[in-house]
Amino acid sequence: MMTSTEEEKTGLQEEAITINGSPMAVRKMQAFEHIGSLAAVAQSYGPRSVKSRILKSIYIVLIKAKINVLLPFGPLAVILHYLTGKHGWVFFFSLIGITPMAERLGYATEQLACYTGSTVGGLLNATFGNATEMIISIYALKNGMIRVVQQSLLGSILSNMLLVLGCAFFAGGLTHPHKDQDFNKASAVVNSGLLLMAVMGLLFPAVLHFTHSEVHYGKSEVTLSRFSSCVMLLAYASYLFFQLKSHRSLYNPIDSEVDGEQDAKEDNEEEEEPEITQWEAIVWLAVLTIWISILSGYLVDAIQGASESVNMPIAFISVILLPIVGNAAEHASAIMFAMKDKLDITLGVAIGSSTQISMFVIPFCVVIGWMMGKQMDLNFQLFETATLFITVLVVAFMLQEGTANYFKGLMLILCYLIVAASFFVHVDPTSDDN
Amino acid sequence: MANSGIELETNGGSKHWDSDSQPNASIPISTVALPPASNFHRAFQKIAHSVKIVIFTAKINVLLPFGPASIILHYLTNHHGVVFLCSLLGIIPLAERLGYATEQMAAYTGPTVGGLLNATFGNATEMIIAIYALKNGMIRVVQQSLLGSILSNMLLVLGCSFFAGGIVHYDKKEQIFNKGTAVVNSGLLLMAVMGLSFPAVLHFTHSEVRYGKSEVALSRFSSCIMLVAYGSYLFFQLSGRESSQYSRIDSQEGSDSDIQRQSQSQNSAEPEDEEEEPEIGLWESVAWLALLTLWVSILSEYLVNAIQGASESFKLPVAFISVILLPIVGNAAEHASAVMFAMKDKLDITLGVAIGSSTQISMFVIPFCVVVGWMMKKNMDLNFQLFETATLFITILVVAFMVQDGTANYLKGLMLVLCYLIVAASFFVHVDPSSSDD
Repeated sequence: MMTSTEEEKTGLQEEAITINGSPMAVRKMQAFEHIGSLAAVAQSYGPRSVKSRILKSIYIVLIKAKINVLLPFGPLAVILHYLTGKHGWVFFFSLIGITPMAERLGYATEQLACYTGSTVGGLLNATFGNATEMIISIYALKNGMIRVVQQSLLGSILSNMLLVLGCAFFAGGLTHPHKDQDFNKASAVVNSGLLLMAVMGLLFPAVLHFTHSEVHYGKSEVTLSRFSSCVMLLAYASYLFFQLKSHRSLYNPIDSEVDGEQDAKEDNEEEEEPEITQWEAIVWLAVLTIWISILSGYLVDAIQGASESVNMPIAFISVILLPIVGNAAEHASAIMFAMKDKLDITLGVAIGSSTQISMFVIPFCVVIGWMMGKQMDLNFQLFETATLFITVLVVAFMLQEGTANYFKGLMLILCYLIVAASFFVHVDPTSDDN
Repeated sequence: MANSGIELETNGGSKHWDSDSQPNASIPISTVALPPASNFHRAFQKIAHSVKIVIFTAKINVLLPFGPASIILHYLTNHHGVVFLCSLLGIIPLAERLGYATEQMAAYTGPTVGGLLNATFGNATEMIIAIYALKNGMIRVVQQSLLGSILSNMLLVLGCSFFAGGIVHYDKKEQIFNKGTAVVNSGLLLMAVMGLSFPAVLHFTHSEVRYGKSEVALSRFSSCIMLVAYGSYLFFQLSGRESSQYSRIDSQEGSDSDIQRQSQSQNSAEPEDEEEEPEIGLWESVAWLALLTLWVSILSEYLVNAIQGASESFKLPVAFISVILLPIVGNAAEHASAVMFAMKDKLDITLGVAIGSSTQISMFVIPFCVVVGWMMKKNMDLNFQLFETATLFITILVVAFMVQDGTANYLKGLMLVLCYLIVAASFFVHVDPSSSDD
């Protein structure tokens, strides 16, 4: 059975080469490879005990990756929460403890996506890509900390556009000196245009509030926010359909259009190699999500106390610290791809994540708040609204050129430092979060 | 010194950053037929010759007597308005000569140091005026004059250049410039202005932790970051890159003359003759640089002292004087050279001058003034008033979009100039909400 699949594989490979590496042929090839590897794994479902497989799985997922050295901080945070009252410590430990789990969640999602094909894989990536932020936000919503939700989601967009992109451009530029790196200008422009429209859609309740022109003060923004959120979720669904079904060709990175066969093979070696089986991936997905939920509960409970004990404004914690943790995995992968001169993937990660947050996570949180009976709305404060809009506009403008170098990355990082510094000296005019 | 003058003339090509320049045929007078007299006589002749070149050959120097006139008026009469106007007119030729001396010196020092020189002294006039205003505690004047300098560069200088170039080249319908460079430079300017705006946005959303103190702290932090960014900007630009987009934005004669040589061979001789030819010796240019800076400083002091009185006697708001009048003077030299280059169809240099000067002001001069204010213990911060911040951001966004397509015509120039008139009119009827400058 293996040999026949191998023959089919090579046959399809030739087919792929003659059709000039069109995506469909490459994907067909990948599908057959998956069946082949599944068959190989199925053969290992044998007399060997389930226990050794579980151990092997634990080893691959939890121990092999270096980031997991941070794992013990999670249980430590829980212990500290019950033993001491030091919210600052609990907060930081749970922050550090969530980071490896977020990364492993991304890993498990990728592994699962290998088995399910590209469409469902894309959907999975889209949904679980920001799972950490979603979970933290839902816990904060349950506690009624609406400002924390708004600020952490907004900070996630800011961090993606400025910090992740800046570090990636900077690292890529340093690795490839004396040369500008190219990326697919068209898709960058399209994505940043979409992001700009999404942000514009999100801003109207805030603008309405700050021009003091709503009909029922306080109630109109909430209603408008809920309506806008439903509209945004509709937009997000059609965005997914557009990206994954009808216009998929628009989203091919530059190098897969140029050297279809070569890079497809490289990609297969590096990215498409499933290391754990499909069911293991699903189980790990569930287990990691539960762990993250548990830690997020303690994290959110400790925010208030941490802000008082470390003397930082809550705005700073929500806008700067929480998103850095939630985005840590994407951050690392974006930098890695930039250093490998695959800037399209970097841009896809950064801008795609921002678009997902603005078109899915934020409206989703509003709807969840609606169902929970909390008054979550899209009325970000004026300072954050202005910051968000200016940032997205400036970054969208900067990406239009289609090249990147270390200086652009440095400028983006410095802008992020200035934004972070602004939030350090920023308090809400109302100054209450609960 | 005379010998070194001869050496530098014949080896001129190797010392220029534009290595394509041809050695000039004309020989400076000072190296021909020196009388075998005493050193003193030779030095005197040399000084006289230098003075002649620097001061008497340029037509703009007809405005020079206004400088001393304003000083005399300051002590004799109490007409602040007249003192203000005279010192304004007197600074214009000095600023232009300062630019000239910088260029001459840059011809000797090679491209890297030359670029640095241009970058530093390019806005020397605005910097000097700003530092004097800081010393007097006129913080709003500093903020407004620097902001007005950016506005004037982006709208007035660019508008006049596009308009003049469009009229002169009416038959061509459109002038073309390097789209990539323009987009990159305007993107940088946009980021710089974004970095500068945050203290203002923070203040106007009434969301700072300690009212009044937080913006100053944030401004100081942002200024240090902007200075770091400016340092890396200079390093990035001057460190020689493969991509031609990052050749020094204010001296693109090299790439331009290459293009010209390929297309129009008969015009390639023109630019080198006019621009790369050092007319005075290296030490002379250093001496003139120092001398002119000193003169500009002296006049600036009288200028700044007379602002308040001039505002009262002419019934002009101080905001109008700071945002519109002061920058027009400070930018006069760049203005003239940008228009001249546009008329010669070298729009890349024009854009480099205009956008480059704005970027330098936003990334260097403004943060530098904040840091200087920090050292002087003045509370200079980046908290421009809401109206000015909004104007600045809108202007830069609009101009950045406009240069994206890489073409220019007289209508674009006219629109820019008219926008500047509207902005000027807005400042004519604008007072600060707090309305206190000292």
